[in-house]
Amino acid sequence: MKNKIVICRCEEITEQEIIAVIKQGYTSLDEIKRILRCGMGHCQGRSCQMIIARILSRMTKQPIEKIIFPSSRPPLKPIPIKTLAKYKTTGEHK
Amino acid sequence: MKKTADIIIIGAGIIGAATGYYLAKNKLKVLILEKQFPCAGSTGRCIGGIRQQYTHPLSINVMLESVRIFSVLKNEFGKEVEWYSGGYLFLAHSEDKKQTYLQAIDIQKQYQIPVRFITPDDCLQIVKGLNPEGLLGGAYCPTDGQANPFAVTYGYLDGIKKMGGKLLTNTEVAKINVTGNKIISAVTTDNQEYFAPVILNAAGPWAKKIGKMVNLDIPVQPERHESVVTEACERLFDPMLVDYRSDGCYFIQNYGTGHFIGCYTPVPNDPGENIKATSEFLTEMPRRMARLVPRLGNLKVIRQWAGSYEMTPDGNPIVDKTPVEGFYVSVGMCGHGFMFGPALGKYMAELITQGKSSLPLDDFALNRSFGKKEAMK
Repeated sequence: MKNKIVICRCEEITEQEIIAVIKQGYTSLDEIKRILRCGMGHCQGRSCQMIIARILSRMTKQPIEKIIFPSSRPPLKPIPIKTLAKYKTTGEHK
Repeated sequence: MKKTADIIIIGAGIIGAATGYYLAKNKLKVLILEKQFPCAGSTGRCIGGIRQQYTHPLSINVMLESVRIFSVLKNEFGKEVEWYSGGYLFLAHSEDKKQTYLQAIDIQKQYQIPVRFITPDDCLQIVKGLNPEGLLGGAYCPTDGQANPFAVTYGYLDGIKKMGGKLLTNTEVAKINVTGNKIISAVTTDNQEYFAPVILNAAGPWAKKIGKMVNLDIPVQPERHESVVTEACERLFDPMLVDYRSDGCYFIQNYGTGHFIGCYTPVPNDPGENIKATSEFLTEMPRRMARLVPRLGNLKVIRQWAGSYEMTPDGNPIVDKTPVEGFYVSVGMCGHGFMFGPALGKYMAELITQGKSSLPLDDFALNRSFGKKEAMK
């Protein structure tokens, strides 16, 4: 069953794959992201990170508020290259 | 005195992981101390390009060996590392740049690198949709390529663990104990002391700080470099596209995933430890990408981030033993750590276990004069 539950829809990562990586000792969201790519796809982890945090919390027996989330990075939603290319940002916005 | 390990490696990026792996293969007991988690520093922020197109003979020799290693890592690890020999294409938009590339090719040919200068038409054949405006041709090497930095680094680390080595994450070194000019131990911020006769500084952007712990001045200065990645799409072209104009950029389509990933070198350079991403880059980089390959305009940017190039005065790494007995450095990778990593790991392991490496690393010595700069940068 767990091999049929897709947790990260962008990169098509199943619950089974996530559990396997945690069992190998990778017990942070940052590491799971780097190994499986969940959180690196189109949605940038907005769908999957909370679910993975819950699995991690359950398996490592620590409260969910102790789980550290990967950095959220701009842009907030995907923006086409040609749209971004129209804007000039000056030094003061660095 | 109790011994925790034969060698302590500070940093679990590609340099620490690869060196540790070849040391463990030599039956050494390896302990890696990592202040965050593997790839949290520069390795995990790089865009994964691998090239042999350098002008310094030692860089060329290191990269010939690295490419050989990358091409067999999948078998070595029994796991995919997404190595793909898609080539590098350096574009020339001025007579000056063309001459630089032609001179570089003359040097690279002496090492049997299959690099050649190709016409603008040939460039357009390889990169469909490339903007031909002002293009005088390009230096193209089809045996350059790319791999997945995470897969490679974790592959090495898993290998170390299988051979009995140990990796401690969230473990930051605060102090290195030296007695009579000899390495004794490393003490972490949580006051644990780990004993070993050898310590390797593989701390990337923090290499200078680690050097200071043994009163060693290592001329390494981190500089901020930023990146963006787009959504994935079907394969559009193979090589890393490099535009070295002052307002140029470089990017590649990730073989494993289909995302485009790229960056540029800021002018003037941006020294310091600040690796926050800027809104300036988020608009400037897409503009440069769209100028080079206009049909990428409809692809969406999904993420931006920044990392460090650890620069030395001549743009070449520092890989050496040091005046402190047992203290070694493999630092100052100048943005090439991922591609140099496998070969430098192998040679550093030889230097540590046999006293010298099969490829002499004199030109990467700590006490060199740092004169001539790398032209292919």
